[in-house]
Amino acid sequence: MELVDRIRSRFEQDGDFFIEEHIWAGRPVRVMGFKSLIDLPRTWANLQLSIREADWDGSQDPIAFLSVLSQLGQVLSEPNEDTLYSALTSGNLIVCCPDPQVYLQILPVPVTLHRGIEQPLNENVLQGAASAFSDDLLTNVGLMKKELNTEKLCTKMYLTGKNTPRKITLMYLEGQVKPDLLREVKERLEANKHQDIYNVQRLSKSLGFHPWSALPKFYTTEMPIEAAYALRQGRLLLFIDRLPLALILPALVSDIFMMENDRNYSAMFMYIIRGLRLAGILIDLIIPALYVALVSVNPEVLRIELALTIAESRSGVPYPAFVETMLLLIVLELIIVASVRLPKSIGPTLTVVGGIILGQAVVQARLVSSLLIIILAATSIASSTVVGFQNSLPLRLYKYLTLILAALFGILGIMSGLVILCAYFASATTYGIPYLHFFKQKDDSSG
Amino acid sequence: MDRSIQVIIVHILIHLGIVFFIFPTSIIDCTKEAHWISILLSFLLHWFLIYIYTKGLSRFEGQNLMDIYLQYGKLLTAIFLLPLFVYLSMLASVTIRAYAETISLVFLSYTPLWATMLLIAIISAFISSLDIHALFRTGVLMGVIFFPLILFVLCMAFQNVDWHYVFPLWSNDFSFLTNPKYMESTFACGFMYLGFIQPSIRYNRKKILWWSITLIPFYLIAVYIPVLTFGEDTAAKFYFPFITAVDTIDITWLMFDRITMFFLLCTVTFFMLFVSLTVWVNTEILKRCLPKTVRTPYIVIALHLLIFISGIKIRDLQEVDFLFDVNAWLHTYNYLVIPFSIYILGWISRRKAATAV
Repeated sequence: MELVDRIRSRFEQDGDFFIEEHIWAGRPVRVMGFKSLIDLPRTWANLQLSIREADWDGSQDPIAFLSVLSQLGQVLSEPNEDTLYSALTSGNLIVCCPDPQVYLQILPVPVTLHRGIEQPLNENVLQGAASAFSDDLLTNVGLMKKELNTEKLCTKMYLTGKNTPRKITLMYLEGQVKPDLLREVKERLEANKHQDIYNVQRLSKSLGFHPWSALPKFYTTEMPIEAAYALRQGRLLLFIDRLPLALILPALVSDIFMMENDRNYSAMFMYIIRGLRLAGILIDLIIPALYVALVSVNPEVLRIELALTIAESRSGVPYPAFVETMLLLIVLELIIVASVRLPKSIGPTLTVVGGIILGQAVVQARLVSSLLIIILAATSIASSTVVGFQNSLPLRLYKYLTLILAALFGILGIMSGLVILCAYFASATTYGIPYLHFFKQKDDSSG
Repeated sequence: MDRSIQVIIVHILIHLGIVFFIFPTSIIDCTKEAHWISILLSFLLHWFLIYIYTKGLSRFEGQNLMDIYLQYGKLLTAIFLLPLFVYLSMLASVTIRAYAETISLVFLSYTPLWATMLLIAIISAFISSLDIHALFRTGVLMGVIFFPLILFVLCMAFQNVDWHYVFPLWSNDFSFLTNPKYMESTFACGFMYLGFIQPSIRYNRKKILWWSITLIPFYLIAVYIPVLTFGEDTAAKFYFPFITAVDTIDITWLMFDRITMFFLLCTVTFFMLFVSLTVWVNTEILKRCLPKTVRTPYIVIALHLLIFISGIKIRDLQEVDFLFDVNAWLHTYNYLVIPFSIYILGWISRRKAATAV
């Protein structure tokens, strides 16, 4: 069977596939591709324009015909099924010329299948550039090139995976990047090219990270300004096609509370804002645990007036403080998980139901103390002060460690929990770069 | 890469972790007046020993204590390191018990001792099972979080002082020098780890020496706060004079009544760091004695089990005191013999090198 027929039979069931017979310069050709990927009217118009412009009097001379064809697109030197399939699925137009047998790959006008450059969806920018990365890989690379106008910006493309190939781009600033880090990442990406990488978990698996790490290995951002800052610090950038995020490697502790956009304020406010974020982290970790510790283990630490107030607000609550706190914390987590995925029209309803009605009712029914509601509100606000959603997730988890230890050991438990977290943070490294490392931006002396 | 800052911070933290407990008791017990003389003498000795120790170590670039001793034979290594190993294990188990007792006395009266000790042992096992770099980074992070709290309480501790108790400033009574309790007080130093962290953690010995001087105020505060608050005679009656003195602080604008707890707990966290560093040193020693197939986490767990079980086996606080007395001898042996031996070995090796040239 001829190659064209094999392709036709392969895609027989595919309603999206088209194969048409055309006469170009008196010679029959067959044109094939996918309707959903190719803007056909514009592609035809372009092709006809090129054909008209080209000199077609060599229609009888096969060699002249070939040279003209090669002006339209790329002649495939060794056409086989695999190359044709991958050319077709990646949105190319294939022209098959039976005499002489030539396969031509033409770059058509593509259908725009991604959104334009929009504002970031996962984070808000105040007083800063608002264009965010989008789903298209090349758009993202282009945004980075716009952000960093230098020839030192290196881009390396990888095509990974056999079943569903996916493009991955590695970007770094030459001369700034840590050589060991770059070498490690390149080696691993090359070695695991055959793996299908289409989400962050798979990427971190192919980069050899532990899957159960409770600290983010990548700092993910939607904003080119943050990504550019990370590059200037000597870090790496990874883009996965169809993922509107820059994955910055390695993630560092500073990503939790420091943003490049903070530098658009005056220095004093920058430090105050960062200090507030740090305070948020500590409050999130300590406050719920402190409530449990003070109510059930170490009430004598409190001033007597305060202790009485708390006892009064808890009168009639039928279970220990730990159960009370756990119950409401879990409800709170449920609200957050639910409201993240709900459509914008229903989200507020849920918040109202969860926050006001449930919160009010649960206190009036004397199922939890009113103080706890205040504490939970503070906690949930505090855990959201950090930069980036991926950083707030682990924080939400860590507070249960201090909470459980506080229920067992009181304030000693809280402190122990903090020590464990300190040790855990300290033990995390990425290719030998500790999580607690602070990179300095190298290009400006003012720091 | 020079990691002097990390070493300095950990050095200060572990000293803060131990200086507020036994040290004031011993000093107040064996000195009647002009405590600063005995404190400064004790500190000077401590500082001098660090000087000798690091000076000796600096002659062996990139080698740790074991490498150095092993050059001179296994017998010598055993003579010097076996007592150190015993001393450190004993120190860890006795202090873990002492801390658990204190914690239970001050605020966890319903929690069984073993539970508190288990918590300390597990956390310290976790920290020492990490590599030494992580241990030092943990120290830095803990310093950042807990040190301000300690500083706050120390400033507040001056609330009830009566400065008249400072006098007399001078005393001709040096009888404390012969008091075994005084020897015990110099227990408030742990610098043996400095010989083990090279070459993985490099530090500048001069920076360590100069920065360790910043510990003097803490040593003075640890003794003078109880003395100035209660007077010498009353302070001598307390088992933990410093903790009792901090307990008297009353800050009207703070929602907490007893800030002792926060102070004590901060020092407990530093103490956890101290135990994990101590066990890390012991693990390093054991790693050389055991076959390479024994994995480090097992050694760490075994050592912590040993500490935990021997901590439980101690009967009461009297026995803790007794064991401290026993350990004081080992302490003196180790803290005199090891620095000087290293210094002398360094001198010998330099002479050898000179004659070889």
